[in-house]
Amino acid sequence: MNLEREERFVSEIKELLGDKISEIKVQRARSVFVTVKAEDYKDSIRKIVEKFGITHISTMTGADSGQTIDVMPHLSHAGMKITFKAAVPKTAAEIDTLTDMLPGAVMYEREVHDLLGVNFKGHPNLAKLVISDDWPSDVYPLRKEYKVVRPEPIRKT
Amino acid sequence: MPEFSVIVGPQHPALKEPESFTFWVDGEDVVRAEVRIGYAHRGIEKAAESRTYIQNIPLIERICGICNVAHTICYTQNVEYLYGREIPRRAEYIRTIIEELNRIHSHLLWIGIAGHEIGFDTLLMYVWRDREVVMDLIEEMTGNRVSTALMTVGGVTRDITPELATRIRKGLDILEERTKYYEKIASGESTILARTKGIGILTREEALKHCAVGPTLRASGIKSDIRADDPYAAHDEVPFDVITTDTCDLFGRVVVRVYETIEAIRQVRYCLDNLPSGPVRIRLPNTPPRGESVSRVEAPRGEDIHYVRSDGTDRPARYKVRAPTLGNLASLVEMLTSKGDYRVRVADIPIVLAGIDPCMCCMDRTSRFIEPSKGKEWVWTWNQLRKYGRMRER
Repeated sequence: MNLEREERFVSEIKELLGDKISEIKVQRARSVFVTVKAEDYKDSIRKIVEKFGITHISTMTGADSGQTIDVMPHLSHAGMKITFKAAVPKTAAEIDTLTDMLPGAVMYEREVHDLLGVNFKGHPNLAKLVISDDWPSDVYPLRKEYKVVRPEPIRKT
Repeated sequence: MPEFSVIVGPQHPALKEPESFTFWVDGEDVVRAEVRIGYAHRGIEKAAESRTYIQNIPLIERICGICNVAHTICYTQNVEYLYGREIPRRAEYIRTIIEELNRIHSHLLWIGIAGHEIGFDTLLMYVWRDREVVMDLIEEMTGNRVSTALMTVGGVTRDITPELATRIRKGLDILEERTKYYEKIASGESTILARTKGIGILTREEALKHCAVGPTLRASGIKSDIRADDPYAAHDEVPFDVITTDTCDLFGRVVVRVYETIEAIRQVRYCLDNLPSGPVRIRLPNTPPRGESVSRVEAPRGEDIHYVRSDGTDRPARYKVRAPTLGNLASLVEMLTSKGDYRVRVADIPIVLAGIDPCMCCMDRTSRFIEPSKGKEWVWTWNQLRKYGRMRER
């Protein structure tokens, strides 16, 4: 597999972000993962968005990694998938919003907020989107500690 | 004139799916729209974490009935990316064939529904009759009309015999002839022109800003298609044109879908003519290595993106799905907002909603109309709203 374009892209990102990057890897053709610290998250994304003129955010994934939650916006640029990754502590899950530079992130941030309890600072409206209005406010279904309880099977006696 | 709000849903007004919209209306004009989804949230992402990679295939297939092929291709190739293995070329071609057949069926279904929403039921009857041809082809190829169950991690489960290829070619000839006829109707029939031109406007800038996907984006003049930009399966070899229009309205969305159907027919034909020989699947171990991966597929409704994280067990640690409709919701709200000379009427709501080809889940529906300034509130069923929409045109 020829990854020349991806390597070139990675070196451009490295040049732009410098030591803010904790880890950067080419996962496969047209897919790049960039890990940054939570405090550098917004600045790094802003630099990339402005440099490449990115307008499209495909979605945002939140994933429980034990003590932390990974917030992963997936940006798209000329067929390339750029996944940023920033870890926030579970006890104080808070990160800056991307909605001011990428308005398409509004729904995706609300979804991550609903299911994993990440608070997006500066989001215009973090109302519930996918879970029901009467869902308890401190229970986040996609965190690992939330266990799905199967109903007892009904046995005929 | 006092402003009042119209609540449509939670049962989905355009298709039989649950979704809640609140429209602020000024007389007959919609001035603002808000959306609340989640009535069909089934917890599939959580469920995927407790099933093995193979057990997840039928689960992922059930995310959506109509574009089940797009989701299963996206899932299986995502898991294959984790292994870092390429699957046989023949399997990739068969995936492309079934994917494009699925696109033909989905687009024809949509054209029928669009006809129904604007009160042009003759079109619905004709299109759905011809759609049976592609349903039969899918059934012959996979054993099922809708849920194909053809994908597996490492390839596909069934091969295409030369006899089946001949029958598919015959079916494609009928479909091509009929689709060309609908192309003529869509671009010249006065009922369609009257109800689609200048309605549901989404400008190029708005489409980019709100990250629209699929035919909605392409109808706003942006040449973006995952099959061309980020090719998967056999799309790097199968030639096709990315269809765009610059009308930015519903008419453009009809045209894009009709021409895409014709392109899909050509792609299936190319795949059948150039089908490589060889096996259709490879065996992979049950447990993929640690890692994470993102994969994208151009579903009939637009970009479908999946994320998977493996922790070295036989079950995914995290599986994330973003179906195309969620990507189009923000644009939909924009289309349903009157601004300047552009007016959205209450009667246009059904067809504008249907315009993005929304895909959530199946249920029936009612609409609640509220006029807070007068303390007035009333409920319409979908049939009443549709009837109202049609009466306005006469």
